[in-house]
Amino acid sequence: MGMLKDEDKKYVREQFAEKLKGPVKILLFSQRLECEYCRPTEEILTELSQLSDKISLDIRNLQIDSEGAKQFGVEMVPATILLGDGERDYGIRFFGIPSGYEFSSLLADIIDVSCGTNDMPNHLKAKIAAIDKPVDIKVFVTSTCPYCPGAVRAAHKIAMLNPEHIKAQMIESTEFPHLANKYAVYGVPKTIINERVQFEGAMPEAAVVEQVLSALTQPQS
Amino acid sequence: MEFSFSVTGPPKVDLKDSYDVVVIGGGPAGLTAAIYASRARLSTLVINKGAPGGLVATTEWIENYPGFPEGIAGAELGRAMQNQAQRFGAEFFNGEPEAIDLAADPKILRLAGKDIKARSVIIATGTTPKKLGVPGEKKLYGHGVSYCATCDGPFFADKELLVVGAGSSGVQESGFLAKFAAKITIVEFLATIQAEGILVERFKKTGKGSFLLNHEVLAIEGDRTVSGVRVRDRSSGEEKLIPSGGVFVYVGLLPQTGAFADQLKLDQWGCIEVDSDLRTSVEGVWAAGDVVSGATRQIAAAVGTGAAAAIEVEHYLSSKS
Repeated sequence: MGMLKDEDKKYVREQFAEKLKGPVKILLFSQRLECEYCRPTEEILTELSQLSDKISLDIRNLQIDSEGAKQFGVEMVPATILLGDGERDYGIRFFGIPSGYEFSSLLADIIDVSCGTNDMPNHLKAKIAAIDKPVDIKVFVTSTCPYCPGAVRAAHKIAMLNPEHIKAQMIESTEFPHLANKYAVYGVPKTIINERVQFEGAMPEAAVVEQVLSALTQPQS
Repeated sequence: MEFSFSVTGPPKVDLKDSYDVVVIGGGPAGLTAAIYASRARLSTLVINKGAPGGLVATTEWIENYPGFPEGIAGAELGRAMQNQAQRFGAEFFNGEPEAIDLAADPKILRLAGKDIKARSVIIATGTTPKKLGVPGEKKLYGHGVSYCATCDGPFFADKELLVVGAGSSGVQESGFLAKFAAKITIVEFLATIQAEGILVERFKKTGKGSFLLNHEVLAIEGDRTVSGVRVRDRSSGEEKLIPSGGVFVYVGLLPQTGAFADQLKLDQWGCIEVDSDLRTSVEGVWAAGDVVSGATRQIAAAVGTGAAAAIEVEHYLSSKS
């Protein structure tokens, strides 16, 4: 028996058939030992990649391909990265298994990456495109948090509009307790931008964009 | 290890210029209205800012919704309702309207910068958890103060927790928190427990819980994270500090009507006033679910008014055209 229910597979297959335009490569950094969530992540992404011929899956071992991991800024696993047409990196990262509500974030991200754009309003797109300094957005989640995909999607949409400068990571808090501890995460979603600005809860996209801009102008605390 | 995978994300929609019905809110009332409207072959758009099911999605387990003798996860019920509405052709937009003009005919709603026309509107925006309004609550939100046990429960493993409110929500979610926490104290302002008896029985069975009745929460204390809660015994007036690693607040619900406050008649609590056919004070606008004045605030009740509002809308639109 697979990880996805048959009826869900059917639904996703239909959605992909209707909405995917260009190819999407799911790049997964994984490892066999000492990674409780790597194997199930490999399984779910394998099933997912079989639901459209526009999706391919590339599973790499963190230790064996340390060069590649470095190139994509991956230091912990499982790490899922979405690449668009021509293997374009849109700055989208999932650290930890994209399960529960975050599976829907992954599906929506795949559709956006395949289309090469997203539905962010034009005035926000212009603000994001004008950013010329590095931005790192971390969004801490739990898989049972219904408010979290809103925060993850906002961060990922921002990254994909300017991936040369912006990277956005979903981090599953219970899988990486040392990070949750480091950033004092007691509630999700919690977003941290460039280690300077942080906020709890899912904000409207326009407000998240303002937070990103404020992180670029604030002095390091 | 068991995993679940939610496939009902916010689907990407190419918004049409106009709809027969726009439903604002994707909880049980809004989704039921969407099922009825789309089956009546009305073009239907649901605007939902959160997960499918709204507040239902934050409820770990639901046992009083008929048809599920063993109960059902709130998240799953929300997803199932949304899938059902989508199956009949309802479209979904994830987000909030940037502007709403209910007085216009047709109604105008701005979504992602685009103005959408609606021949009718059903408001099913529901409620949001109420804050306590005590010192420390705002500062420590996300640092030990939470309104969502299913979201944040795992951060409180082996901690002593305090839950405010002995209504059904507070006691049920305390049962869920008992999976993680070392000890749970439920503080209640009133002298009696308001929750359903079965929830109280189950909470007591965890062996981790106790009630502190007739106590008022005065302040939440802590520097970087919650360290304790200051309470006052309402009969003796005695104050004390209860050490606590986290506080979960379940003290009631506030209607989400801020966006319509100047366009619709609301009652003194901000809920939408309707007539017996769920019509609001503005022609072509109905309300359903927990946002309606005097609502029972149960899923079964919300589903009922959602269905009724959609049927009324269908009559209205067919009489107009």
